[in-house]
Amino acid sequence: MHLRNKLMGAVALMAVCVPALAHADTSDKRIALSNNYAGNSWRQAMLESWEKVASQAVEDGVVAAADAFTTSENQATEQAAQIQNMILQGYDAIVVNAASPTALNGAIAEACSAGIIVVSFDGIVTEPCAWRIAVDFKEMGRQQVEYLASRLPDGGNLLEIRGLAGVFVDDEIHAGIQAGVEEFDQFEIVGSVHGDWAQDVAQKAVAGVLPSLPEIVGVVTQGGDGYGAAQAIEAAGRDMPIIVMGNRQDEMQWWADARDADGYETLSLSIAPGVATLAFWVAQQVLDGAEVPKDLTVPFLTVTQDTLDEALASTPEGSVANVEYSLEDAKAVIAEAKQ
Amino acid sequence: MTDTVISTLSQTHRRPWFWAFVASTAAFGATLLLTEGRGGGELLSAALTFAAFSAIVGIGQMFVITLGPGNVDLSIPATMTLAGTLSLKFMGGDAALILPGLGVALAVGLGAGTANYLLIRFLRIPPIIATLSASFLYQSLAIWSNRGLRIKPPSILADFTTGATLGVPNVAIVGLLIAVIAWIILERSIYGRWLSAVGQNARAARLSGVPVQLMFAATFIGSAVLASLTGYLLASFSGGAALNMGTEYLLISIAVVVIGGCSIAGGYSNVPGIWGGALLMFLIVSMLNSYGLGAGVRLIMTGTIIIAIVAAAAGKESSA
Repeated sequence: MHLRNKLMGAVALMAVCVPALAHADTSDKRIALSNNYAGNSWRQAMLESWEKVASQAVEDGVVAAADAFTTSENQATEQAAQIQNMILQGYDAIVVNAASPTALNGAIAEACSAGIIVVSFDGIVTEPCAWRIAVDFKEMGRQQVEYLASRLPDGGNLLEIRGLAGVFVDDEIHAGIQAGVEEFDQFEIVGSVHGDWAQDVAQKAVAGVLPSLPEIVGVVTQGGDGYGAAQAIEAAGRDMPIIVMGNRQDEMQWWADARDADGYETLSLSIAPGVATLAFWVAQQVLDGAEVPKDLTVPFLTVTQDTLDEALASTPEGSVANVEYSLEDAKAVIAEAKQ
Repeated sequence: MTDTVISTLSQTHRRPWFWAFVASTAAFGATLLLTEGRGGGELLSAALTFAAFSAIVGIGQMFVITLGPGNVDLSIPATMTLAGTLSLKFMGGDAALILPGLGVALAVGLGAGTANYLLIRFLRIPPIIATLSASFLYQSLAIWSNRGLRIKPPSILADFTTGATLGVPNVAIVGLLIAVIAWIILERSIYGRWLSAVGQNARAARLSGVPVQLMFAATFIGSAVLASLTGYLLASFSGGAALNMGTEYLLISIAVVVIGGCSIAGGYSNVPGIWGGALLMFLIVSMLNSYGLGAGVRLIMTGTIIIAIVAAAAGKESSA
């Protein structure tokens, strides 16, 4: 009986696996993830998403291996060395979240000339032989001001919380916010601080600048800084402006509490850490021989007043709202880029 | 005694920490100039709160730097993160576990400090390398233990760290108490005398019977324990431990020591300067932010002001 069960299980397993094997030409291919940083909740969620989707794909026989590697220091030189090691180890594709858009180009070109597929996402690279899965960060900034304009037609003063100075993403979101303020010129940015995408840094910076600011009606952010801003404003005893959030669980929790207390309304938007899994499927598709445009755009994840409870329920405490992408999602993104 | 007080007062401008306080007051005044006097209390309260965190880690770093050239504790950010992460996870929001949670944080500091010292002593690794490599270990432990999830502190603890007593922020009171204790240890205890002796000339100190290895062990452990206490307080203050919560405290801890008028080569330190430096680091950024200067200008100005203060303090010292 016991043996028969096992045999039945084996047969069932083969029945599941065989169709997958028959379709994918990538079952002997090995994909590596080169990640430059793991020191915040977004990156941790990203690595978990990768682990979940990639290990399932390995189990299903879609690819032979999908290993994740993270450098200890967030430095381009170290990541370049890591990519060179991946070339030597004979990976067929490298999925990379890059420390710098340009500093890894040498190592990436080496990988390409060794016949390796390179797919960059989030932190993208400019090397032409690599694929890029980019986020429209400018639009992310612009939409924040657009949302505020819909809530506050009369406009007013805004506080801008920026990210880490000198990083590409910070410049892009900032440019989008500026474009938004030009479009909706009833708003004026009266203060700007760097929150480094960290709640405690944002809290400190906002607490320091608040005493010198006039009344603020809105706070535009980059994600990971909204809760810290709320705490600083609360501590200063000011009226709570509309703070645009960035999908972190503590931000959404604070939002839900404020909504229950006095009907607070806002918007939350950021990129889902699961974008790593989209990059994984794109790499798999390229390995499979599919024709994939070099530049792809991933939509950002928006949480509204209506979807707040749902998003909060599916986000682990202290983490960030996330979606994992499937092969079908990747195909859809590719199809959209071809048009 | 009266003579000492009078001479202390008349010598105030010659004290190495004098310029840090002058610059802090100037930055405070410049910010209020912009607001025409509004929000002074608010700014002072924010400055005291955030300076307290820098001051506590800065005092630990000061003791380490006093040990002499090449001594610096680079594991402070990772120790803060690990202590904050483990203690908040341990408490899990339960108010009954606040004191045991503090115990967990301090135990992390004790462990980290001991590990740092053992690396330096038995593997003969220079302190900079030893504490830097150990910090990767602590940071990895913090990542591994909680995967970056923020657990809320018990609400009583959160209220305490964000609250104030008689208008003075509670964390500032903790920071000032620690400063007073550190001042007594540095200026009035045998440990303080030995520490300065080791920093000025380790060989001479050893030959005159100072237990040099014991001094190293106690100092590195002390620094890690203060870092872990800061991690506990900061995580409770900001609503949970984050993996990157300690990052900015590496440079700040060293900067406040230098700005405060302590010798970076060791041997000569003072506690008031740490608070002066900590207040300045917060007030400068607030001032430049309030004037709406970009990040680039802000960094240049911060650097220039720090150099000016260190130069002013050094000039006074040599003429004294």
